[in-house]
Amino acid sequence: MGETGCKHFQAYVKEQSLDTFRIIDAYFSACVNKDAREKKALSCCCFECGSYGLQVYACLHCIYFGCRGAHIATHLRAKKHSIALELSHGTLYCNSCRDFIYDTRCREIAGVNRRLEAKDLSKSLSWQPWIPTPKETNLLLANPRRRRIRANETIGLRGLINLGSTCFMNCIVQALIHTPLLSDYFLSERHECNAKSSLKCLVCEVSRLFQEFYSGSRSPLSLHRLLHLIWNHAKHLAGYEQQDAHEFFIATLDVLHRHCIKAKTEVESANKLNNATSSSGSGTGGGSGSGGHNTNTNTNVNSNCPTQCNCIIDQIFTGMLQSDVVCQECKGVSTTIDPFWDISLDLGETAHGGSTPKTLIDCLERYTRAEHLGEYGKIKCSTCKSYQESTKQFSLRTLPSVASFHLKRFEHVSTLIGKKVSTFISFPVELDMTPFMSEKNNAYGDFRYSLYAVVNHVGTIDSGHYIAYVRHHKDTWVKCDDHIITTATLKQVLDSEGYLLFYHKNILEYE
Amino acid sequence: MTLTKTVDQATILSGDRSKLKDLLCNRLAECGWRDEVRLMCRNIIKEKGNNIKVEQLIADVTPRARASVPDAVKKELLMKIKAILAAQEGIDL
Repeated sequence: MGETGCKHFQAYVKEQSLDTFRIIDAYFSACVNKDAREKKALSCCCFECGSYGLQVYACLHCIYFGCRGAHIATHLRAKKHSIALELSHGTLYCNSCRDFIYDTRCREIAGVNRRLEAKDLSKSLSWQPWIPTPKETNLLLANPRRRRIRANETIGLRGLINLGSTCFMNCIVQALIHTPLLSDYFLSERHECNAKSSLKCLVCEVSRLFQEFYSGSRSPLSLHRLLHLIWNHAKHLAGYEQQDAHEFFIATLDVLHRHCIKAKTEVESANKLNNATSSSGSGTGGGSGSGGHNTNTNTNVNSNCPTQCNCIIDQIFTGMLQSDVVCQECKGVSTTIDPFWDISLDLGETAHGGSTPKTLIDCLERYTRAEHLGEYGKIKCSTCKSYQESTKQFSLRTLPSVASFHLKRFEHVSTLIGKKVSTFISFPVELDMTPFMSEKNNAYGDFRYSLYAVVNHVGTIDSGHYIAYVRHHKDTWVKCDDHIITTATLKQVLDSEGYLLFYHKNILEYE
Repeated sequence: MTLTKTVDQATILSGDRSKLKDLLCNRLAECGWRDEVRLMCRNIIKEKGNNIKVEQLIADVTPRARASVPDAVKKELLMKIKAILAAQEGIDL
């Protein structure tokens, strides 16, 4: 089937141009704004039977709407019109060919209208089939060899050598490598970096790691370059002793996030610089200096808190936490919303003698329960302008694509003395986060998640070892213990003493 | 004005119609219905040869495709539609 429609459509376009299509699609198929929805609600029903029907077609030659089947067909035949637009999916139909037709230009117009509609209704774009760009088509043609991934395939699995108490890093790397959205990003080489700093750039290093994991080789990898980069960028982790895997995870996200911003601003300032020099032709020396300065200020601003900067780390890991403080005197609510990368959950007894949590759900319920701040925690209420007792409640405003939970197994009584909580906490494979959302009645939100990685700590707080369970394929789990990779059963995973739990969103929204 | 027409107009106006349509598409893809119907179409085309017209294909596939929509999907959609209508003023159910 051609991508230029049929000969009837070509004749139609020659005579009428695409303007009619553009307007009909924007008003009655995609409904790009409120005005369009009003017009559609009032007038877009079958001229024959008045039904809003399952599928209504619009004649592109004159003003006529008709239901699928006899109603529209009779009109087209009687008036000798051939082109109509099916409105529920926006597909062109040619009555002379008695077939649906596809035209590249119309598809582009329809795409623009769908994006406008999604923006106007603040909804996610509906699923669209992948249409390769000319560049992608050429790449596919130039590389005809296809690799078929079978159920027992080991590609993507590699052990990691322990460089001396570095199992905390190995576990986090295994979890990150097995994050579907991250591997999509890195394997499609979407990270752009200027070559000069790529040896110093952690994102480039992670990109290289993905290539290593998927190279097909099975020998264990050494992460010395990654470790060195982390030491350089997160000084508090430098040293040869065992570190906390959770701290390492957050530090890694932070460094990756900072490098993403840096790479982006560098590319942007380089572009700006090129534009500036080409237009004014002066100030090259000063330009590069100020470019570097800009980069520094940007990274400083964004350094310690995850902000919505739209880098890959934020796209995958950042959610928004809502905190409502309710004044007990006037019932006034003050709401603050903060970004988060993970949720740390308490395991011990509650201050008011409540029972200790036994499941992840218990922990989450406790986390989102309203907490009385008490007599000594009086807060100035912005409504009644006085210090009052109040309650504070957390809820999740938006959720990230990857929800990671940190079970606080390590309690630090002081900087030197700590103890480990080894209580078994059960966690589900499928997790629905709806009960913990700020807006529970959102009819369209889908907050179902699936478990894909678990990091465990075995042993005591002083001498322990980290291992990770990761989901390799659907229903296939593997245990990663440094350089040893073995298959594991789901039961083993669920019976393990989870420390960090990683869940992936089942349904992703398109932007 | 009939009730159906009021409901149609109200849901189109609020944009809920379009969101419900997306939700339904997602659910049908998720539960494998989409692939199943695609397979049905392929088999019919294979059987009847390339000259089959799209109307004929639709007429053949529709009853079977309709029947194979999982009850859970229908139920969920129905609940959503009820909730949306209940939240809207001016419509008595």
